[in-house]
Amino acid sequence: MFVNRSMTKKVITVTPGTDLFEAKDLMAKHHFRHLPVCREDGLLFGIVTDRDLRSALPREFSKASAHPDTTKAQADVTALKIGDIMTTDLIKVSPMDTIQDALLLIQRSNVGALPVVDDQNRLEGIISVRDLLRAFINVLGIGEPGALICVLVEEKVGQLKKIVDAVTEEGVSFGSVLVARYWDEKKRAVFCYLLTVNVRPIKKKLADLGFTILDPMEWYMDQLPKPD
Amino acid sequence: MNKTGFLYDIRYLLHDTGPYHPEIPERLQAIYKGISEGGLLEHLTLIQASRPDMKWIEAVHDPDYIHRFEEVCYSGKKTFDYPDNQMCTETYETACLAVGGILEAADRVMNGELNNAFCAVRPPGHHAETDRALGFCYFNNVAICARYLQKKWGIKKVGIVDFDVHHGNGTQHIFEKDPSVFYYSIHEHPSFSYPGTGREFETGTGQGHGFTKNSPTLPGQGDEEYKRLMERDLFPAFERFEPEIILVSAGFDAHVDDHLADMSLTTDGFSWIMQRVIEMAEIYADGRVISVLEGGYNLDRLPELAKNHVEILLQK
Repeated sequence: MFVNRSMTKKVITVTPGTDLFEAKDLMAKHHFRHLPVCREDGLLFGIVTDRDLRSALPREFSKASAHPDTTKAQADVTALKIGDIMTTDLIKVSPMDTIQDALLLIQRSNVGALPVVDDQNRLEGIISVRDLLRAFINVLGIGEPGALICVLVEEKVGQLKKIVDAVTEEGVSFGSVLVARYWDEKKRAVFCYLLTVNVRPIKKKLADLGFTILDPMEWYMDQLPKPD
Repeated sequence: MNKTGFLYDIRYLLHDTGPYHPEIPERLQAIYKGISEGGLLEHLTLIQASRPDMKWIEAVHDPDYIHRFEEVCYSGKKTFDYPDNQMCTETYETACLAVGGILEAADRVMNGELNNAFCAVRPPGHHAETDRALGFCYFNNVAICARYLQKKWGIKKVGIVDFDVHHGNGTQHIFEKDPSVFYYSIHEHPSFSYPGTGREFETGTGQGHGFTKNSPTLPGQGDEEYKRLMERDLFPAFERFEPEIILVSAGFDAHVDDHLADMSLTTDGFSWIMQRVIEMAEIYADGRVISVLEGGYNLDRLPELAKNHVEILLQK
């Protein structure tokens, strides 16, 4: 559920002094479209995207071709550093923000990835649209007022029906249902987004039926490694 | 000691939500019991319910919605818009009386008869949108009160503090474009709790940008986290905004013993919050506070929570 579970942790970074061609090569080599820019001490400074590079390079080249002294113009482009073109007005998330936070933030800010930083602004990872798609193949219906519960069920036929029946008996509608894998291969985590504020009787009913209601702080959308 | 109003009326018990609902008349009885057994009634000015001029409700809600609510209610249907909103034929009238009582409290605070007031009303209001009933709420009591204070009493800046465990989506949406009303809410993080709004980056839109502030809290957090977030988010915001009156959406469902959500606030934690609200009101708002009941469903905890709440309003 939290950003640190889904983010890319092995991030290739550059410094403000890196030149544009080197950054372009790094992106091509690693198939990234976002390069966080960090200072030597690891603090996040900015971000540069493939689009930033594309728009910086041709413009400088076209200037260069118009320039009578081509050699000097090329030198000017080569002199351009990441620090000159990077975005410093950053939209960042913290490792303990949720995936839903990141999803909505990316949607509204029209960026493709968000750097993940700790309290000291130290880069911990990067979370991209790709990361989120992986985690949110079935997006929960969070546009409509409702509440999420997570029910742990045995991995056998008919469990979901019991849950749906119990919820239906309470007269409550589903916003969405997501069935996720759990660290215990014999179990499934069923996320029910219910269009009600009154989840208590439903939780109680499901518990009475023998289901485990998972503590919200233990919710994860991806398959979990078995706890130590 | 402050002059504190207490809005309570047995007609607020008539909104019947059926046999399996947490938002029940016994909540108000528990609140009344806590306040009366705490020996506080003699210090309070009792305010009774009254019918408001409907134009004040129309200052927030669409007339079509109000008519629809009235019609559905008197038709005898048991739910309105969502199954959460259980009702009876008295519900519409009760909702009107709740608004009327709150506006009466507002008048008495504004004309100086009272310093502040606690309005123990049902049904609650902060989930109600301009055109939709949600989460046990039909009329947005606090939003209507804010508009009333502006239009009737010429208040320019209204500060709202909503500590119900659920985000007040209705109140936020009503004022999110409006820089004259600052809405602050602290609540369980919307990824884990109803209604799924109230994220940190929802900060108002257009002219109202910067006049909405949300402090989502992760499940299980309690007093320390509430203190940290309110000190970080609310106090500096109100210092800048300088509200002329503070309205409180007082929900007691973040209590550790309230199981409608997952927070762990203690009884003392609620007192801390209310004490800070009073202090802010003293600094910016000439002490003016109108507190309006929202949620809070543990009948064993409501008496002490209400007693402490009113004691703090009294500054006894």
